[in-house]
Amino acid sequence: MAEVVLQAQRLAKNYLSGTQQLAVLRGVDLEVAAGESVSIRGESGSGKSTLLNLLAGLDSADTGTLEWGGVADTGTARRAKFLGMVFQSFYLIPELNARANVLMAARIVAVPGAAERARADELLRRVGLAERATHLPSQLSGGERQRVAVARALMNSPRLILADEPTGNLDEHTGDAVIDLLLAVCRETGTALVLVTHNAAHAKKTNRQLFLREGVLH
Amino acid sequence: MPWYLYLALKQLFPSGRKFPFFTAISVLGVALGVALLVVVTSVMGGFGHEIRRMIVDTEGEVQVRASGYLADYRGVIQRIVSVPGVTAATPYATGPVAVVYKQRPAYPLLRGLDLATIDKVANLARFVHGGRLDDLDDDAVILSAQLASSLGAFVGDTLEVYSPLIFEKLKNDEVFLPRELKIVGVLEIGHQQLDSNTLYCTLRAAQDLYGLGPAAHGINVRLKPGVNEDEAVALINAAVPRGVRAHSWQDSFSDFLWVLNLEKGMIFFLLLFVVIVAAFSVTSSLLISVVRKTREIGLLGALGGAPRHVAACFCAQGLFIGVFGTLLGLALGFGALAVRNDIVLAIARVTQRQEVLQRFYQFKQLPAHTSVNEVMLIVGLTIVISTLAGLLPAWRAARLKPVEALRSE
Repeated sequence: MAEVVLQAQRLAKNYLSGTQQLAVLRGVDLEVAAGESVSIRGESGSGKSTLLNLLAGLDSADTGTLEWGGVADTGTARRAKFLGMVFQSFYLIPELNARANVLMAARIVAVPGAAERARADELLRRVGLAERATHLPSQLSGGERQRVAVARALMNSPRLILADEPTGNLDEHTGDAVIDLLLAVCRETGTALVLVTHNAAHAKKTNRQLFLREGVLH
Repeated sequence: MPWYLYLALKQLFPSGRKFPFFTAISVLGVALGVALLVVVTSVMGGFGHEIRRMIVDTEGEVQVRASGYLADYRGVIQRIVSVPGVTAATPYATGPVAVVYKQRPAYPLLRGLDLATIDKVANLARFVHGGRLDDLDDDAVILSAQLASSLGAFVGDTLEVYSPLIFEKLKNDEVFLPRELKIVGVLEIGHQQLDSNTLYCTLRAAQDLYGLGPAAHGINVRLKPGVNEDEAVALINAAVPRGVRAHSWQDSFSDFLWVLNLEKGMIFFLLLFVVIVAAFSVTSSLLISVVRKTREIGLLGALGGAPRHVAACFCAQGLFIGVFGTLLGLALGFGALAVRNDIVLAIARVTQRQEVLQRFYQFKQLPAHTSVNEVMLIVGLTIVISTLAGLLPAWRAARLKPVEALRSE
């Protein structure tokens, strides 16, 4: 059996809405193995992004436990190496070109050397943007920006990629291409993927499809 | 370089994009403050330095005076030159006289020089134009430039000199004939007061005019380069007889130098506010930047950037603005200093006040003397103030939670 890279047990999160406690997550259990891809679908406001933020260690759960690779440490220093994230709005740094944006993930871990630069170029080649490496985000299309974001997520050879509706701002054709790319590179590198999406077709391409309803994964 | 410094530099000076307006304004604000501080402290320092140069060049670093006059100045000089650090000493006699040239009167200060020793103490020869110091003898005189100009006298002319002894003679019903002295040179030091009102003659001629006999009014002392003037003064005072005192040039001009330093300090303090105001502008711009880049700050957190490093990124932007602003300010400041005389002359020409300028400031050219210590102080203060300007934005950025930052519109 493949190693478990993500294990969440009984994760719960409540928000205060006015004077009322709103239970967004009511005890989520999730295990993702290395190389596995899991999609999470759900209605708007069902708590998909909240769950992803908890899984990424960006937010803390009210109750429950979270482990990355069997270790409970989900702090910022470990996040940089263990986790890659892809967002709906790309979040590329406008002052940096495509290569520098990809390298930024490595910079946060350590000052990049020749090996990291070569890897950034290799990843850009892998996502089909070798010719656009020196272009600024403003000079790239939406699909190209998201491919740069995918390359950035892979830069530190993470064990797990969390993608929050990565095709939400793309047309159907471009969105399909990005999902295919994401799944392909995860398959090639043995990286686990948790994909939050509204798109049923994209969800079907993953190994396991889950649905978040009433704060619980089904 | 660490990512937070790299990103700070890239956000201020992005490659391949237009130079950000915020960076330009922030750097320029700091630069103007630095340039002003450099120019003003250098010009103020120039006044002090120029005054020192003129005093030391014409009178040596130390003046030795008695309450009346020095009857045995040769004996005192022997004691002074035996003091370690003293190179040479020369006696002088000085006092007001009346001169008449072609019925035009003037009332300059007479200064009698000992030709045998003056060149070891004061480098007057280089200030003499239209004649030579070597031509000075007991029947000759050298005029300061403006005195010669106001009298309309030239080298080769003769003028009559009346000393205060005339009153003693008149009291005793004696006939007093003015002394006729030939002009053998014109001396121009560059200081309006010295150039306008001084008459140089030999020590013997001055002794005759004042009835001093073999005495002198004082002694000018030249020190070896690098010798501490205050220490030398203390040693000389220990060596000379009671009733004779040595004064450094700073002592002699202490009131003037104190006022000069006070003015300089006040102006420095006031102009520092230009840098402080520029720093507030940096703070304001960086705060706007934190708001504008909220989602990027969230991204950095999501990528694993620690809050303290996010803070360092914004603090570093303040630091870089300070460093680049200081460099530009130094360039602007020293550039302005290089053309200061052209600027001042242009202003004087436009306002037709060239003569007022010279009379008021006492120098033919606007002096400037830049102290390395003062430049270091300006550089240090500016960079510290600019870096502090980034603290508030840095604190705001560090407090942003990645989840909320990424969600922000």
